[in-house]
Amino acid sequence: MTSTRCAACKHLRRRCPPDCIFSPYFPSDNPQRFAYVHRIYGASNIAKILQDLPVHIRGEAADSLYYEAHCRMKDPIHGCVGIITLLHQQIYNAQTQLSKIQAEIAVLSAKAQTESHYQHQVEHVPNVDENF
Amino acid sequence: MSSKVSCDGTSVGAGGCGGAGSSGGGGGGGGSNGPCGACKFLRRKCVPGCIFAPYFDQDQGAAYFAAVHKVFGASNVSKLLLHIPVHKRLDAVVTICYEAQSRLRDPVYGCVSHIFALQQQVMNLQSDLSYLQGHLDGLQIPTPPPPPPPPVQPLVMPPVLSISDLPTSAIVPPTYDLSSLFDPVGQTQWMLQLPHQQTDPCQYGGGATRAPPEMSPSGSGAGGGDDLQELARELLQQHANPTVPCTRAPPLPPDSK
Repeated sequence: MTSTRCAACKHLRRRCPPDCIFSPYFPSDNPQRFAYVHRIYGASNIAKILQDLPVHIRGEAADSLYYEAHCRMKDPIHGCVGIITLLHQQIYNAQTQLSKIQAEIAVLSAKAQTESHYQHQVEHVPNVDENF
Repeated sequence: MSSKVSCDGTSVGAGGCGGAGSSGGGGGGGGSNGPCGACKFLRRKCVPGCIFAPYFDQDQGAAYFAAVHKVFGASNVSKLLLHIPVHKRLDAVVTICYEAQSRLRDPVYGCVSHIFALQQQVMNLQSDLSYLQGHLDGLQIPTPPPPPPPPVQPLVMPPVLSISDLPTSAIVPPTYDLSSLFDPVGQTQWMLQLPHQQTDPCQYGGGATRAPPEMSPSGSGAGGGDDLQELARELLQQHANPTVPCTRAPPLPPDSK
């Protein structure tokens, strides 16, 4: 029997029917993809999620499920939240840095403006000697 | 399909959750009064040492667990928790609850939509930083006025990210404390103007499960960030007072009494 089973049916050791809900999204050349989602969610939960979605967005759903499962496998405690936390930290650091640079620019701009104003005043003040 | 969930708990691993035999309902659960939220939801006997009991109380716990069970399955969560050190399980429960609720709210992307939004924000900020740093460098050079800066680059939205572009690992410090998520000082930093994906919550399936309680009372565009803070706060408070039901109850599901 030539194996045309999808990764899911291979993993579950069953025949892969023509209308298998998994086969478009879990090809046989990537067994890890289904292994991860199966470990975290379970095959039946994945099937329910996919079945309740329109066909044209099931692929995205499968991708996001795999991503979350992958994160959870790498970090069983935090899963995706670890990534979210990391990104929050990056945002916080970038905003802090941005504020600092904006402040420095404001100071330098004000200083440059003051110097330019002073120079302008000096150029237009009448000769001091004439007053004495 | 594999039946991951077994109401009689026979498929659940060690830890005392396998309350097979006698019917569910009263009896000594993980807490002092009756079954924990998980066992209450699963309608099974809550035995001493129930792995879920410390994290799902009788009141709100059942609603939280409903979401977790719907997305992950009780058996899978139990196995996951068993492989996690006890002192880290609360963190795991918080994050699992968050992911479950995100998935119910957005069945296509779950919490990945939040990650997308944050990633976009990081890229925008980095772009702004680069531009302003260049501007600052120009101001700091003590020479004749530099040539006018290049035309202000409008904030170009970075190309649409795909899931494969997202990071897959985070260096989370071993002393990571989820309670820092709702640090009042840092809260403003967490308030992100995120394009919150408005999707109908809990649209798929029906049965005994009910929609999870609304987590963010007034999402000021912060979407997932507020949800996670609220969820973390609730679960950490419950864990801190295991014998005292959560008094500050978030909005209850419609038919929860």
